[in-house]
Amino acid sequence: MKLTKALQWTAVAAATALAVSACGGSAPKPNPSTAAKDGGTFRMGIVEPVAIDPDNSQESEGNLVTENLFTGLTSVSVDGKISNALAESRTPNVDCSQWTFKIKGGTTFSNGEPVDAAAFVRGWTRAAAKATASDVAYHLGEIDGFKELNTGNATGFRGLTAPDATTLVVKMAIPDCEFDVRTFHTVFSPVPTVAGAGDNKAYNDQPIGNGPFKMDGPWQHNGKITLVRNDGYGLTKAHLDRVEISILNATNAAQLEYQGFQAAQFDWARMPTEQLTAAKATYNPKGDWYQWNANGMNYLLPMLANGPMKSKEAREAISYAIDRNAIVQGVFKGFYTAADSLIPPVFTDAYQKGVCASCAKQDKEKAKQLAAQAGLTPGTKLYFGYNTGAGHDAWVQAVAAQLKDVLGLDVQIDGKPFAQLLDKEKSPDATGIYRFAWGADYPTPGNFLNPLLATTSINEDPVTHKVQGDNRGRYSNPAFDALLHQATATKDLAARTKLYQQAEKIAIGDDLALIPLWNRSQQRVANNEKWANLTYDFNENPTLAKVSQK
Amino acid sequence: MGRYLLRRLGQMVVVLLGATLILFACLFVIPGDPVGSLAGSERARDPAVVKQLREHYGLDKPLAVQYVTYIGHLAQGDMGEDYIQRRPVSEILGPKLVNTSKLAVAAIVFDVLIGAGVGALAALRRYSIWDTAVTLVTTVLVGFPTFVIGMLLLNLFAVQLKWVPVIGDASDPVQVILPAITLAVIDAALVARLMRGTMLEVLRADYVKTAIAKGVPRRQVLLKHVLRNSVIPVVTYIGISFGSLLGGAIITETIFNWDGVGMAMSTAIQQQNNPVVVGVATWGVGIFVVLNLVVDLMYAMLDPRIRLS
Repeated sequence: MKLTKALQWTAVAAATALAVSACGGSAPKPNPSTAAKDGGTFRMGIVEPVAIDPDNSQESEGNLVTENLFTGLTSVSVDGKISNALAESRTPNVDCSQWTFKIKGGTTFSNGEPVDAAAFVRGWTRAAAKATASDVAYHLGEIDGFKELNTGNATGFRGLTAPDATTLVVKMAIPDCEFDVRTFHTVFSPVPTVAGAGDNKAYNDQPIGNGPFKMDGPWQHNGKITLVRNDGYGLTKAHLDRVEISILNATNAAQLEYQGFQAAQFDWARMPTEQLTAAKATYNPKGDWYQWNANGMNYLLPMLANGPMKSKEAREAISYAIDRNAIVQGVFKGFYTAADSLIPPVFTDAYQKGVCASCAKQDKEKAKQLAAQAGLTPGTKLYFGYNTGAGHDAWVQAVAAQLKDVLGLDVQIDGKPFAQLLDKEKSPDATGIYRFAWGADYPTPGNFLNPLLATTSINEDPVTHKVQGDNRGRYSNPAFDALLHQATATKDLAARTKLYQQAEKIAIGDDLALIPLWNRSQQRVANNEKWANLTYDFNENPTLAKVSQK
Repeated sequence: MGRYLLRRLGQMVVVLLGATLILFACLFVIPGDPVGSLAGSERARDPAVVKQLREHYGLDKPLAVQYVTYIGHLAQGDMGEDYIQRRPVSEILGPKLVNTSKLAVAAIVFDVLIGAGVGALAALRRYSIWDTAVTLVTTVLVGFPTFVIGMLLLNLFAVQLKWVPVIGDASDPVQVILPAITLAVIDAALVARLMRGTMLEVLRADYVKTAIAKGVPRRQVLLKHVLRNSVIPVVTYIGISFGSLLGGAIITETIFNWDGVGMAMSTAIQQQNNPVVVGVATWGVGIFVVLNLVVDLMYAMLDPRIRLS
């Protein structure tokens, strides 16, 4: 389901952050004087999620459902700031090797079971267990005992204890001073005893949670998911009576969503890229247009182990040869912004403007000079891999054309289905450049730097020598790794951010281990005539728990 | 007849086995690990999870073993589990087959009512304005791509006029109208031309002239002699068309978000969700094999000169 590329985790800028973000954005301001009125059915479309059970809920679609069914320890605001949800306090010990969470007492699941510390232990254990084979269990990987549980050598989670009903103690295998930032992810949800094991099909299709909404009947696969308000919710109750989520074709979901919105059938919709300009013209004047910088970034992934991209000068030559602004205007009709960093501008505290010097603007002379130094002579073959069917063709061709024009390279474009592309990227003899993108799971710079560039994230298979992690360019720099370690072990947020910035300076400013292309942005249309307090959340989804009738 | 049937059924099994074997071989030589990527994300799957899933699906075994296991399960009605949601393929495809069948039946009804009706009228009013109009319109329609017709209908009746919802429930009869018409339009145009041609031929036949000369009422001549003899080639065409509709109409189902096998196929191919791909393809082959058998049997019944055994 690669079309959902554009729908990844995002940190989004709220009214304040929007003002400083590069692309800017627009969102109708919620009217504070409007008294929240209960009732109504909110309707929207998504594509078939992989899972809605928190043990494996993974994409924006699945998370939309799961985050409305479950409430965990923390929540994250639209601008990426973490706050307590069910947690009353979150305290690390001196070296961040143990975290203690105090939990709000007296709340229940929608079936009446109490939400206590044991419910969290149950949920985390269930997600990490081998039999669940969860795609998101790795988020729990820093906790002591995860390996044993995940490989089937243990049945309990050694690192988790619940000394009393409102205390959860987490012992870490890898000390992490920002572990609490992870806990807003749905995989950290508590579950009731009826959840059973991870393969409990009945629960997988109709999870019983403790969130602002509950399921109204099981998930009708490829049909519909219906939520109703959970009147027994332990925090601020939702206003909407129902949320009807239609499940759409993966191939043309954006088109169907937009058509559904135009026909007044949906209250919230994405739209196909080709229709953005027209949609903005129609809905912006009505105040129904939303546009914001997302926490995703698009890159070129150079293969550092073999081939023409081995040298830093070669990568800089490529970067200087690309006219990012021309492509942003020409191909993306100005809906994206050119990138000049690894950590996107929505991370307002960590963003270092211009840390990628070669990204600032096209410089043909510099590009040629660096190419000559790197032996990247005209006629050199350069492999350029990308995945088809996800709308990348136009810009890939534009980049290839610029590389050919400026440097005279013989760029060999190769479009493949995503699974095949990934396979090729991981292989030890991969060379050249690949299309690449990333969206962070947590609002922390470490979530870009660690998975994409840390040496441990190469995780080479000893037999096949394939990359198993997400550092598929095989970048490795001990100085960079050391800074990341130091950052994770630093409690003070400002000091930690500094260390991340230094790490970014090495990997991007000096080594250009990834070539930034553009910051991703999001666009939506929403029915503000009918609804109040309707805006987007950290995960790019509508703020269902807050929406009320007008 | 009985022996003929048995032999044909035996052949069916061989064809199905051959088809699944070819499919299997094709799908598994495609590079890329089907469980290697995380759905809808840039992330590579956790190696531990990949290993576990490969074991679970038997992907670590040689292709031949996988195929024999698959056929063994298939014989018991078990089509395996899909790679993404890890649900049984039969459970996934069941409702889709029902939806596609609904759409196919509705499309065929439109085909017959509109196509045959219009064609017959054109033949009866030969060289009239009506006849010219039918010829013109059908010629134009046959050249139209399905997706253009589908998009136009959806935009007009669902988005602009709001007569039907854009996204609806496959169990809602209103929802089937637009996709069924989309599927039927081109076929109906072909049926109309076919009907017109054969009917004109029959109208010129000696037995019709004789019947008219004998003073048989026109109405009776038309119903008893002309219509009955004209529909045979049309029925054959519609039969074949029905078969391909049951195999799933990828484009139309996609445009109208119709949760049928066509849509399942296109999604499954993109995701390298091989169990679903093999499942749908097996169904498609099965449909055509059965339909061929039915057609052969019907020929024998309609035309006594054909001997089956």
